[in-house]
Amino acid sequence: MGEFKVHRVRFFDYMPSAIRSMAFNSHTERLAVARADGAVEIFNFADNYFQEKVIAGRDGRSIEALCWVGCRLFSAGLDGEITEYDLENLRPRYSIEAYGGPIWTISGNSEGTLLAAGCEDGTVKMFEVLEDRIQFQRNLSRQKGRIISLSWHPSGAQIAAGMMDMIRIFDSETGHATHRLLVDRGVGASKSREVVVWSVACLNDHTIISGDSAGKVQIWDGLTGTLIRTHLVTKWDVLVLAVSQDESSVIAGTSEGTIVQFQFISSTVGQQDKLWVRTRTFKNHSHDVRALVHTDSAVISGGMDTQLVVRPLLDKVEKNTQESALRKIAFPHRNLVSCAKKAGLLLFQFPDHLELWRLGESDRNETFPVKTRTPGESLPVKRKPEKLIQLKTKGEDHICCSALSPCGSWLSYATVAAVRLYRLQISSNNISIQKVSKLPRELKSVHQLCFSSDSCRLFASSSFSSVVVVALDQTDCKYLHTLKHKSGSRQPIHILSPSEDGQWLATANTDCEIHVFNLRKMKLHCSVPAYSSCPTAVSIHPTTGNLVSVHADQQIFEFSLKQKEYSEWSRQLQRQGLHPLWLQRDTPVTSIAFNPNNPAHIMLHDVFMFCIIDQSLPLPEAKTKFYNQMILRSLPEPQRLRESHAFKTCKNFQHLLSVNLLEDLSLVVVERPLVDIVAQLPAPVRQKKFAT
Amino acid sequence: MMSLPWDPTERDNMANKQRGEGTSVEKKAENKKGADDFNLALDSSDDEAPEEVTFEDSKARAVESLKLALDTARREKELLKEKRRKRQEFFQEQKKKKLLSADLLEEIDSVPSKKQKQAEDKDEEEEKRKTKKPTGVRNLKGSYTVSTVTDRGQSDYQRQAAEDFIQSRLYGPGSCRSSNNEMLSLQNKTRADKSAAVQFVKKDWACKEKAKAEKLKKRWIHKQQIPTS
Repeated sequence: MGEFKVHRVRFFDYMPSAIRSMAFNSHTERLAVARADGAVEIFNFADNYFQEKVIAGRDGRSIEALCWVGCRLFSAGLDGEITEYDLENLRPRYSIEAYGGPIWTISGNSEGTLLAAGCEDGTVKMFEVLEDRIQFQRNLSRQKGRIISLSWHPSGAQIAAGMMDMIRIFDSETGHATHRLLVDRGVGASKSREVVVWSVACLNDHTIISGDSAGKVQIWDGLTGTLIRTHLVTKWDVLVLAVSQDESSVIAGTSEGTIVQFQFISSTVGQQDKLWVRTRTFKNHSHDVRALVHTDSAVISGGMDTQLVVRPLLDKVEKNTQESALRKIAFPHRNLVSCAKKAGLLLFQFPDHLELWRLGESDRNETFPVKTRTPGESLPVKRKPEKLIQLKTKGEDHICCSALSPCGSWLSYATVAAVRLYRLQISSNNISIQKVSKLPRELKSVHQLCFSSDSCRLFASSSFSSVVVVALDQTDCKYLHTLKHKSGSRQPIHILSPSEDGQWLATANTDCEIHVFNLRKMKLHCSVPAYSSCPTAVSIHPTTGNLVSVHADQQIFEFSLKQKEYSEWSRQLQRQGLHPLWLQRDTPVTSIAFNPNNPAHIMLHDVFMFCIIDQSLPLPEAKTKFYNQMILRSLPEPQRLRESHAFKTCKNFQHLLSVNLLEDLSLVVVERPLVDIVAQLPAPVRQKKFAT
Repeated sequence: MMSLPWDPTERDNMANKQRGEGTSVEKKAENKKGADDFNLALDSSDDEAPEEVTFEDSKARAVESLKLALDTARREKELLKEKRRKRQEFFQEQKKKKLLSADLLEEIDSVPSKKQKQAEDKDEEEEKRKTKKPTGVRNLKGSYTVSTVTDRGQSDYQRQAAEDFIQSRLYGPGSCRSSNNEMLSLQNKTRADKSAAVQFVKKDWACKEKAKAEKLKKRWIHKQQIPTS
């Protein structure tokens, strides 16, 4: 077991973006999340809530609403455009102007034929959903005042629109407004301000439920246009509503960060008269809740505190199981930090710029080796880390992916529009960066970038699940080859991992396929047998040539490339099964590293822990204590050898964004404490608590 | 002045006086009469006929005045016409200045017609042929290209206004907002292992405010020490 010198890096000012809107596709079990910076993320709820795809945003695009129509994803925003996304190439397919000013909401009817958009100028615009595009059909009758929210009646015959101070019900055939429901303003000071109906929901029995800025949830009869019941839920705004599939439960999200549930039940058991009764309150967030989804078994919420929270409803799932646990997704499921192992440089990826940092140093001339130091001791920093380069993107698109070569002399990033490559020259007192101007035409629509370990090749994953290989020279680059696999999948490749010796390239795509290419012959070598969960990290061992993969359901596999079959250790692991505490972790492993001094070690990390798997030690039984490092330290030497098992985890560093092993065998640990993120969020509401 | 067909009698005069028309000629005549009367007071009589004004005279005078009126009207019309004409010419000149020169227009005109001719020829040769002309870009003789300007000013302004609306509703006046510092400090206070407020726990919290507070503190101490020293 080795001791390491650890560089604890806390100068990565990673700041996630607030969640603005969500839409759930129950057929494919995918959740689409729209962030305030215009990025769209797709989470696979069937695969342990893994963040499969991220479509980068752009400056000036602000998404207000998301909508699934079948398997197609549409968004609309304050720039007045409706955008359809290409989920295979991770880019917007097209945008059309609605010519109604900023669009506040879009909603599709239950047949999937029409899309209604509520605009600033008071019109509800109907678009016909065609095979490859949408086409403007007509406007419903224009209103005075902006349309903030829309809801189709399940039959498609009526649309309820929430505006300022009122709710309008339109007949979708004729386009006329049939009813006008007037919403009361708040009391006191808020009587002078207009009340905004932030959200409406239309149920099958023509009940309309509305949430407004005065903090009320009101229940209306849509046929007669009368108010049935008012529930005052909060002093602040009710920002969003969501209805369950069977229309028995409605949830309302507020500015306080609470989610209030209303259920359609009878007040006394057994009786037939059902009412909408306020039942549960969840306080999942510290800041405003701006997006809600009500699935059959869970309440999914997101808001200004940037965390996605999945709260399973305990009357729908079995208690005290993995299924019923509260899930908070606060960090991305991919690597935003690249490390140049030989040069000791770190590249941080922000949406609109990149930062290159040089690591600090503690003691250049070690008078005594690391092993004699006490673990956990903090070494004095002789040279501070310094920011070498801040590179802003040209244009408005945000960065999809970035990479830094191991020697630190090449830097590359890709946006939806273009790929850029830079040559770096870093000496002790001089830094120069030079853009490589002529890039091969084949380098476009890139989702993932990776440099080879000798920094001579650049690998870029492109459309149709192919990999473009480009050779790098002193100052320019030349297109070499496009690697394709034969499985026919068109899903984007999200992991690229070349081997140390430059012979193999392992790729993984979101269709859960792992393909290995032979770089000497430039063709497909083999494909790992299909597994149902998406791989989250893949790496090739430098000495044994085994491919180690960790999946979204926390399973670990080791595949031998020479024999083209699973290794013996992997089979034993599958036979015995992983420890339940390992399987219950809710953040995925995003990178795998190997120790050149110790070939039996595999180093993994997720957001809350850093683990070294020792393949020479026995695997832990389900009953043994998993986190046993502290206990082992207190035991005498011979007993320690008996008690230790293969998984050695360390929870000293939180929250981990990246762990890398440098060439001089020191660890670089990039942490981003959640408190630092919360400190920079917008203001929460003022809550008056007793005795404070 | 009305010319009566008969000699005006006293009764007529009286009627005129009552009417108060004060026919000036008559008055003048009367004044004259009065003036004359000074000299020939004894000789004046009310029955003296006024001066005779012939019909032709008055007709001529009326015709004259009509002519005058017509003349002035005509003159005014002509003046207006002149003005309008001048203005029209001025506008024409301005327009000419704005437009491209005639030869440039000819050039532009000739090129697309040439293109059309070529296209027609091609069509005649082959039946199935797609003529794709790139929209918005035309290659002309020389180095001119035409392309549309992406004007997003209006949409940006509207987007900014909409964002300001949301910002003012959620974070504007009347929204009762606190700060993250307060929220985290309350959490620190109310949890099981209580700790101090966040600005004391985290060293790098609000560095600028802390530095300012330090400076003010030093200044205050200095001020306090001066009177005593």
